[in-house]
This record gives sequence, C-alpha cells and structure tokens, in this order.
Amino acid sequence: MINEKFARFGTVHQTSWDGRAAGNFICGGAGAALLAIAVLTSWPTAPDWRLLVLALALIGAGLAFVWTEIGRPWRAFNVLFHPQTSWMTREAFVAGLIAVLVFATIATGMAATAYAAALAGLLFLYCQGRILRAAKGIPAWREPSIVRLIVSTGLVEGLALLILADLAIGAARPNMPAALLLLAVLRFGTWWRYRSRMLGSDAPRSTRTTLAVVHRALLAGTALPVLACGAAIAVPGAAAAGSAVAALSALGAGWYFKYLLITRAAQVQGYALGNKLRRGHPLAAQR
Amino acid sequence: MTRYVMVADLNRCVGCQTCTAACRHTNATPPGVQWRKVLDIEMGEYPNVDRLFMPVGCQHCSDPPCMEVCPSTATGQRKDGIVTIDYDICIGCSYCAVACPYQARYKVEEARFAYGDTPTENEAIRFDAGRIGVAQKCTFCADRVDAGLAMGLTPGVDPDATPACANACIANALTFGDLEDPNSKVSELLTENTWFRMHEELGTDPGFFYLWNEK
Amino acid sequence: MSTTHKVSTYCYQCVNGPDMLTVEVTDGVATTVAPNFAAKGYHPADGKVCVKPYGLVQKIYNPNRLLKPLKRTNPKKGRNEDPGWVEIEWEEALDTIATRLNAIRATSLVDEQGYPRVAFTTGGAATPYFYMGTFASFLAAWGPVDQSLGAGGTVKCYHTEHVYGELWHRAFTVCPDTPRCEYIVSFGNNIDASGGVTSVRRHADARARGIKRVQIEPHLSITGASASEWLPIRPKTDPAFLYAMLHVLLHERAIAELDVAFLKQRTGSPYLVGPNGFFMRDPVSRKPLMWDLTSSRAVVFDTPGIDPALQGEFIIAGIEVGADEQVWEHASVPASTALEVTRRMVEPHTPEWAAAICDIPASTIRRIAGEFLEHARIGETIEFEGRTLPFRPVAVMLGKGVNNGWGAYECVWARTMLMILVGGLEVPGGLLGSTVHISGMDFDRMGSVAPHPDGFLDYPFNPTDKEHWASQPQVRHGHTTLIPIIGGGLTSQLMGSTVLSWMRLQGRAADSWGKPKPPDLWFVYRCNPNISFSETDKMGETMATFPFTVAFSYTQDETNHFADLVLPEAIDLESTQLIRLGGTHYFEQFWDSQGWVLRQPVVKPQGEARDFTWISTELAKRTGLLEAYNTMINMGAAGLPLKTEQYDFSLDVGKAHSVDETWDAVCRAASADVTDGVASDGLDYFKEKGFRVKPFPKINWYLYPRMEDLGLRFELPYQERVLRIGKELAARLHEQGVTWWDRQLHEYEPLPTWKDLNKLWSDAYERAYGIKAKDYPFWLLTARSMQYAWGGNVSLQMIREVAANVAGHDGIMINARVAEDMGIEQGDRIEVTSPVGVTTGRALLRQGVRPDTIVMVGQFGHWKTPYAKDLDMPSLNNLVPMNMDLVDGTGSAVDAVLVKIKKIRS
Repeated sequence: MINEKFARFGTVHQTSWDGRAAGNFICGGAGAALLAIAVLTSWPTAPDWRLLVLALALIGAGLAFVWTEIGRPWRAFNVLFHPQTSWMTREAFVAGLIAVLVFATIATGMAATAYAAALAGLLFLYCQGRILRAAKGIPAWREPSIVRLIVSTGLVEGLALLILADLAIGAARPNMPAALLLLAVLRFGTWWRYRSRMLGSDAPRSTRTTLAVVHRALLAGTALPVLACGAAIAVPGAAAAGSAVAALSALGAGWYFKYLLITRAAQVQGYALGNKLRRGHPLAAQR
Repeated sequence: MTRYVMVADLNRCVGCQTCTAACRHTNATPPGVQWRKVLDIEMGEYPNVDRLFMPVGCQHCSDPPCMEVCPSTATGQRKDGIVTIDYDICIGCSYCAVACPYQARYKVEEARFAYGDTPTENEAIRFDAGRIGVAQKCTFCADRVDAGLAMGLTPGVDPDATPACANACIANALTFGDLEDPNSKVSELLTENTWFRMHEELGTDPGFFYLWNEK
Repeated sequence: MSTTHKVSTYCYQCVNGPDMLTVEVTDGVATTVAPNFAAKGYHPADGKVCVKPYGLVQKIYNPNRLLKPLKRTNPKKGRNEDPGWVEIEWEEALDTIATRLNAIRATSLVDEQGYPRVAFTTGGAATPYFYMGTFASFLAAWGPVDQSLGAGGTVKCYHTEHVYGELWHRAFTVCPDTPRCEYIVSFGNNIDASGGVTSVRRHADARARGIKRVQIEPHLSITGASASEWLPIRPKTDPAFLYAMLHVLLHERAIAELDVAFLKQRTGSPYLVGPNGFFMRDPVSRKPLMWDLTSSRAVVFDTPGIDPALQGEFIIAGIEVGADEQVWEHASVPASTALEVTRRMVEPHTPEWAAAICDIPASTIRRIAGEFLEHARIGETIEFEGRTLPFRPVAVMLGKGVNNGWGAYECVWARTMLMILVGGLEVPGGLLGSTVHISGMDFDRMGSVAPHPDGFLDYPFNPTDKEHWASQPQVRHGHTTLIPIIGGGLTSQLMGSTVLSWMRLQGRAADSWGKPKPPDLWFVYRCNPNISFSETDKMGETMATFPFTVAFSYTQDETNHFADLVLPEAIDLESTQLIRLGGTHYFEQFWDSQGWVLRQPVVKPQGEARDFTWISTELAKRTGLLEAYNTMINMGAAGLPLKTEQYDFSLDVGKAHSVDETWDAVCRAASADVTDGVASDGLDYFKEKGFRVKPFPKINWYLYPRMEDLGLRFELPYQERVLRIGKELAARLHEQGVTWWDRQLHEYEPLPTWKDLNKLWSDAYERAYGIKAKDYPFWLLTARSMQYAWGGNVSLQMIREVAANVAGHDGIMINARVAEDMGIEQGDRIEVTSPVGVTTGRALLRQGVRPDTIVMVGQFGHWKTPYAKDLDMPSLNNLVPMNMDLVDGTGSAVDAVLVKIKKIRS
C-alpha cells in the first residue's frame, strides 16, 4: 500500500546477506584497521608480531564468515576473477596481499613490509566501504558517504582493539585514549553526515527505525569513550579502566552499527513507476 | 547492432500472472523463484485510488550493476544486450542480488520442490543441480532466442525465438524485440506511446520499458 | 537419448473456452505448457491460454492425487468421522455402483415422491461436461436424473442475465461489442478476471484504442484497475444508479435525442398498455395495438406504413388478455404507450434521489448518463459484411454480484432499457448476446430465433396454464413448476433454485411439498459443493445423510469426505474428448470460424485413473444400458450425431466400444460436419492437428440483422408476458396451497419497481436470525480469482504461488482507514461473523475498497483438501445464509452477506 504515485514500494529487507556477511565487515574492518594502526603506532619499527597475527586472524575470520555464506564454497577462488570492476575481488586480493605481507613481516622483522601491510589494511578497509557503495540495490548501502563511515568506524575499532591489546599485555601507551577520542568523534561526524543523507532520502520506515537505534548506539559509543577517555587522561589512576571502558564502548558501538547496517537497515530499492514519462524512440537522439 | 529489450504495456496488463507461470514452466524454476512476475500496485487514498499491474524481472541493463560487482565474472553481457549468468563460475556470493535495484536475482540454497523434499516427476526430469547455490534470474529466454535465430526466425516475431512470457501474455502486454531495429515492434511501440523505465536515475540504462498513459 | 515432443489439447476450465494449448513432453513426462500458435488466425486470442492450464502439469504429478478407487469402510458419515478409506480395484467399484443402479432400475427410476433416485452434480457452469467424455450419454440412457443439487450455480452465476437476457435478445451471456465499443458503464463486471483469454485480449486492445470504461463497484477489482474511472458504489444499490440514468435519459433529455427509430421499429415501446396492465389488443386478431400518429388511431403493431407514438396516453377501444385467458373488452379506455408507463415509473428516480442511496454524487450519475448518450452516436451506421447496420459504440455491463438475487431483475432490465433507448442492442459497437441455452442449442444462437405472434422473439416459458402446468415437481427444486422463464430443456435444471433443493433436503423450505428424500445414488464430479455453495457447514451435514455417494475426484476433498466411493478419473491432460469450438459463446467469444477441438492424453493416466468414457461404457455395460448408451452417442450426446443424411459413422449399438473407437467415430462425424460431408478423418487427424474449423459468418455476431429480416421487436420495456405468467403461476400455486413462494411471485412485475435492497437484506436477517442488522455493519463480498475460478486447482502449489502475487489471495481486504480506526494492522487476524457463520483471516489493508465493505477473494475455507487446507484462506461461503426470503423470483440468490468484524487478540 503506497500513497504517493511515484514513491518506491516493496522496499522489503534484503535477505541475500545475513549476519555472516556482517561478520566480514565487523571482523575484517576491525582487523584491517588494527593492522594499520598497530604499524603506525609502532613507527618506525614493526609492531609486536602478536598484533599482526591478531589483525590477520580477524580479517581471516571475516572472510571465513563470508565463505560459509556463499552458495558454492569450493569455488571460492573464483572470487578473484574480476578485479577490473568488482570491489569484492579487490578486497580478496588485498586480503591475500595482507597475508603475504604480514607473514613476511613476521618472518623477516622488516619494518618496510609492515608499512606495506598497513597500507594494504587501509586499502582493505576502503574496499569494504566500496563494496557496500556498489550495492546499488540497497539504498542504505549505496549512499556515497558510507565509504567514509565504514573507514572511520573501522579505524575506531582498530584503535580500540589496540588499546585493549595493550592493556591485556600490560603495555598501555599514552596518547592512545586521546587518539581514540579523536577518532570516535570523527566517526560520529561521518555517521552524522550519513544519517542526514539517509533521513533526507525516501528511506522506508524500517530503515529509519534501524537508523534511530544505530544513532543511539553510536551516540553512546561516542559519548562513553569521550567521558572515559577524558577520565583516563585527567585522572592518572583511572587510565587503565578509563581506556578499557572507552575502547570497549567504541568497539561495541561500531560492531553493533555494522551488524544492524547489514541485517536490519538494508531495505531493497523496491519498485517504482518512472516519474518521467517520455515519448519517442529511446535511441532517436542518437540517430 | 542488436539490443534486445522488453516493452511492458501497463495499460494492457491485467496482472493475471500467465507470464509468471509460463516463465516457471519454460525455465523450470523451483517454487518461489519467479524470474518474471507481475506486481499488483495500489496508489492513492480512498476514494481516489489507482490500481495497476507491473511486470518485473531482470531489466537487462546496458550498464548492469550486478555485472560490475560480480567477483567471479559469472555475470556477463552478450553483444545483444542480454545479461547472463554462468552457473558454472558463480560462487553464489549474492553480491549481484544486493547490487540489483530491481530485485531480479534469486539464489536457491537447497533443492526445493512443490510438494516437499521429493520432486514430482516433471520436477525431477528438469532438475538442474547446477542452479543450486548460485545466482539465477531472467535470461530473456536466451536459449530460445538463440535457437530461433539459428532457425532463421526473428525474436519478438516468431514464437520459437521469443521469451516464454511474451509468448504467453494474453493481453499482449509484453513485447520483446530489438531496440536497435527501427522497424521492430518494440521500436514501434516506444515511438508511438509514452513510456518510462524503472529507477532510471540509478544510471543502469535498463532494457525494460513500460508503456503508460497516466489517467 | 532424451526425446521431446509437443501435444496439442484444449483447456475448458472456464466457460470462456475452449482455448488451445500445447504441452511439451520429455521422455514421457509432461513438462511445459505453451500456447498453440497454430491456432493463430482462428482463435480470437491467437491460440493463447490463461494462467490456469499452467497448473495442469503439476496436476498430473501432484503427490496428493488419488490414483486408485477408494471405498468407505466407516458407515458413519460426518465431518469428524474418519471415512476409513480402503483402496479397491475398479472391478469392485464398478460392480458396487452397478449393483446399486440395477437395484434402482428394478424398483423405479423415481422415488415415491416422484423425484429421480439418481442425482448428478457438477460445477464450473457445466464446463465439466467438456471433460466427462461420454458420461452425459450414460445419464441420457439412464433416464430421469436429478441435477438440482447445485454446487453454486444460480448463486454464483449471472443468473438473471442468463434468463432475461435470453428472453430479450438471445443473450444467455452478454458482452459489449468490445472491438468497436467506445464507452462502457460497468457495474462490477470483472471481465479481466472472469472473461477468459479472449476477453482480456479484446479489452486490452480496446484500451489501446482508447475505450473509456467507468467501473462502478464497491471494491476496486482487477477490471476496475484498468478502468478510466472508479466509482465506489454502496453495495446492492446498483439499481438506483441505473434507474437514475434512465431518469436522465427519459426526463432530462428530449425523446428526440434517443434512438427514436429503433424504439419505434425494434422494441415494444409503442405498445399500448391497458388499465389492467396488459397490452391493448385488436379483438379479432388479438394483436397488440399501437397509436399511429399519421392516422391518429390505434392500429395493430404490424400495420405497414404507420408512425407509432412513443409517448402519451390515448383513448382507444380493444381488449386486454390477462392470465388464464381472462379477457377485458374495452370500448373506450385510456391506454398509454409502454414507454410512457416506463417514463412514469422512473420519474421519481432522479440522480439526486439515487445519490443518497448509492453514495455517488448526483452530478456524477448525471454525467455518466450524459456521456453514455453522447458516445452512442445515435444516427450513425456502419458497413458490416456488406450490410448497413446502426453503429452504437456503448454498453452497460453487469457483474455477477448484481446479477442474481433480489435487485438483479431491476439491474438487467434497466441496463437493457438503457441499451434500447440509444438503439445499442445487438448492433455493432453495442451490447450483444453470445449464446443461448433455453431457447435453442448453445452453438446455434441464430437458429433459436423464432417469432412470437406479438412481434417479439418467441420463448419457451414453462407452461403456467391449468392444463399444462407441471404441478408435480420433476426434480427436487421443481424448476418446471416454479420458474417458467428457465424453460424445461436439457440445461434448465441447472438454472432452477439450487438453494431450494438444499433447503428442502434440510427441511427448511417448501413445507407444503414435504421434505424430499435424498437421492439413492448421488454422482458428484469435478466440483466441491461443500466449499462452493452457501452455509457449507450445514450442507456437509445434509450430505452426510445421503445413502450412497459416488464422487469422481482428483484429491480428497470436503465433499467426497461424505462419499461412499471415490473414483479417480483421468484428468485434463490424460483423457480424450472432442468438443465444439468457435462461433459465438459466453464472454467475448466471437469467432469467425467454428468447428471442433480435441482433448487427448498428453501422457498416460497416472496410477489407475481411468478415462471417463471408459468409466461410462463400463457402467452402461454393467447396467444393461449398452444399447441405449450407444444409441445416445449415435444420436449426438457425445457432441454431434454420428449419422446424418450426409454421413454415417454410427457405432454398433450392441457392442462396448473402446475410448478411441468411440471418439474416432465422433471425430469422423466432426470432420464431415466442418467440410460439408467431404472429409471423414478420425481421431488420428485431430491428434495431429488438434482442431478443425469451418468459417462462421460474422454477421451472426449480431442479432439485429436477423430481427430486422424477420420484422421482430425486442420485448422491452414492458413485460406483459411476465406479468401474465406471474399471475397464472400464483393461481396455480395457490390452488395447490403453496404460499411459500409468494415472495418470489412479487417479482413478476411488468416493469420492475425499485426496492431498497439494503433494507430487504436487513429485514430478512432480523426476521430469520433474531439479530439487529445494525450490528452487522459491513457487506462481505467476494471477487473472482482468475487463477483459481473453476479450476479445481486449490491443491496445486503452482497456482497458489502465482495467485499470491495478486492482492486478496492472502487475506481479507478491508479499507485501510477503517482498519486503522478499529486498531487493525496489516496482517492482523480478524474474525468475520455473519448471522449464520464465522470465519477468520488475515487483514489486508487496502485503499481500493469501500469503508462499509470487506472482500474475500475466491472460494477457500478448505479443511480436507490436501495443500488447500493449509492455505489459511477464509471463504465467505459458509457465512452466506440460505434463506428463502433472499431467493428471487427466478430462483437465484447472491453470495453477499452482512457481517461484523473484530480483531482477534493474540
């Protein structure tokens, strides 16, 4: 039932990708960003090999999620056939490249390969943004600002993971909470932009409802890190706890956002009547 | 040059679903997989209401987003504009399905039949395991088109060279043919009537035209 | 190596067939249905078939199909009784039936009350006759068979149009001359869903040409979708709209604006009506009189060279002939023209009056009447097949819901009146009949035309005079006794009051006639009355009382649940029959060829399903009727006579013939029929070619030329015969002490007066069920499902799947605003209650439905049929009361009901 003549209708939720696809964006994004940030923060040396392994494992887990979702898993390598235009192929190649570079770094301890791996990580993150943007059938994904949002979200998650990893091995580094605070605010900015664009579009009610949930989550996932980071910076004794809270909340909000983006906000384009009635042969102008 | 397109006349269509059924027969699609179907649309508010029927399916875009995203090159495009899927290459990632703004693509994970797990005889004889776990959609009955051309027939004119849905349409609402041929029926219809294409703003250049005279 | 071939056959799953199709068969398995493109050029829709036959392949292989005869072992019958089916061999099944039949034959063919001991019920507007091989020959050989136990006919058909249409213009079914028509006023006529392939095609072509159609109906139907305009009229108020249109034409427009020539020469408008309501007649010739404006005197209607008055009252001498030969002699009395009497009747029915009733603005009604008149192009002619004919491209169409039960006579009369006022009846562009059933053979409409002494078409009313009236009902609904207008021919039984039969069997009607015994043996074929009729729960209880029921069935269903034997016949794509094709018939079927088409086995019958011709022959053999049965086939009961002066392919009457032998002979006769005796090709020819036709003269699409040739008039506006027959019938019934048909006798009016139908319904409910009508504020209506109607296909997944794409196949349509006010959301379960039943379903919120109306598409509510019983689809049938107060004079009732609804809290 629609009321307006040229409105989209039949904008049901997509059922092609489920939580497993979300898993790729969650794990892969966080892993790739962790890789990049770990390298950056250990500049000029290569980071702790364990961080590299963790990042690679996350990317691998993401791809494993996807592998369980595809209809023909034993043909998975066919994913590599279309680098000319497919961001999914490109993502797969970059993932392979990351694996090679990470192993090379671990094997050789060379910083240069780590730098390259970090760049590849960023590229991987970018690929993920572009994968969604190229999904023309899903207005909530094809919105161009999704790319920045996916990248910024990934970066927050990567840094959050790094902070948590540092805490776990008792090697917390200063400035990290401040950086997280900065990235979280940046993420919220990209979210704000994305959200305004979506709310300004003809997105269906189900998308809007999900966006509202995401908004609250990201608001919390920004405010909490800000407060916690502030506490961590201002109150010396609270540094560890504050950092942990900040990292966990930033990470949780980001992952929750991605999960919802894939599984609940993704309504299909639907159908519509064309609002531009034309007369004359479509190729008349070319003739 | 040839570009095969479909013209659907919304002033003719009565939503009977004969095309839907004919497509399911000809292409032996499993239950629920309708490469061609007709939507029943209601617009406006009582008592100022319009109802109309709109055939949908793969629009055989000349710039198909499904093909762009396909990581395996399973989705292709023929010289005559028909967008194809190579079931032997497709990995079943469904990326094409989310890239298609026309909801034209299906993926069937497990064999399914009209009456439970056991196929009826007609289902068994036409079952194609190659279609399990891969993307599928309307092919514009490319095999019929090709077989017809091989016999010297004209797609859109001779039934044996024409998609099953257009053949079956009892309202003559579906017309198939070559857009590049100025004398084809589709060219004639598009020249003489007002028309639109769905989601043209997405830049897909769909090969599916809707004739419509607004009331 | 896999082999594939195509087999041609026909689909006659609705009356608008047969349509031709081909079925692709791969390695002995049917796979794909497609049109039969070889029929292009003959078939008006180029050899295409609608969606229904696409279910036939699945129908063959449906695992829920019955493939072996079943015998009931539990003698107790009831909805909650397990019949205890056990599989038996055909031999046992046939012997069991034969034993019963032979016992009946040994006693008497009719019971003590005079009713046939054998009954036969089928559905689908008798389309099953085109699937049951030679069973009709068996029934004919048997003798009296009661076919009054209807499966939905007269409630779910165009009943009033059938009978009055046939009376007035040989129009058992009515449709516009769509290829030429330019303006259609359609009162709920859902042609795009119910008119079959050809109708859809012709209307689509007409739209492409720019036809304007105004769709007046409470729910925006499939057909309303393609209309130029939708007017949501209050249910059951269509007569008011139509009468207001008549008012506009007869009171707001000058008579000169109407088709004066047509009214004067081709109608009974100038006939003078005397003070007793009968035509003034010449005392000697007894011919009706008209007022000649030239000589200013009354003359008999067929006086050459006169100019009859259409309007006015004249003082004249003459006689009136009333009921039972009562004659009034008048020396000098005022007599008005029939048109004048009509004008007077519609005078109060202004658009303003109708507006409040119909919930449509007066200005709209006035505009539609005006557009109708303007589009009629009065005065224009067209050259058609070398003849100059009037060209009147307008039509008024009626849907099924306004075509039966009370109010239908008004609707059919008013719409035919509108057509004659503009001279648009039976002329190019106008409103046409296509077939006959009462006055002649369905394939020979023109052959049914015969003159009546009053200048109208003759008509075989059942006699109502003392001497000839059928005082004793011949079957359980007493059609020849109660309903003169349906005649007493081969198909007349099917037009009797089927509601009356069932109510009598339930002891609820016709008390002075007593409660009839059920038939000793009831054959049911290709129908499911326990779903498709009204008050179905009660009907099931009635069926349970039948001593022996033989159901020919495809799956288990709600009717054969009460049967004693269930027999699997070879279905559509598995069996053989040759039937007529082309000519003119039913909706929009106007062909320029006529001939025969074969149904043949596309694949071997599954399991032990048997061809109906084989079953019939076996029954004939076992009941000693072989000779009579073969004789019936030879005489034409299988389609056409096997022996004429031109040819002789008759069967040896003493022998049992195989299916192929039988149909080979019919095919040979058919070949001779279409080639003027030249060809004699048999079954093999038809198996290969599928069909064979000869040209059909297109001038026969229109009745007007024939009427003109014979100098005949359409019997409108005034129904003198109806008045006389009604009085005679009343006298006959009262002489017998029958008063329970009095309400129906009120319908025998010469001009149908307007009735407040909403009040009529409310009053009837309040009387019968002790309810307050205001507690039932919604009209529950149904709407045709093209995918399902008549298909016997509710157990097919394929049909379910595609039908689900069409709104209404997954719930109850309700106005979105009303639903919102009631707190009902999309998909919520709602309970719908009528005074006699209750059902539930999911709410389907729509804009295209009136706030006081809800709609249930199709006929569902299955509880036994496999697959269908899991559809969760409600049906209005069980909610529609069988109530004699709601049965009209011609014996029909309508499947609409007042209901209340509430949301079910989960």
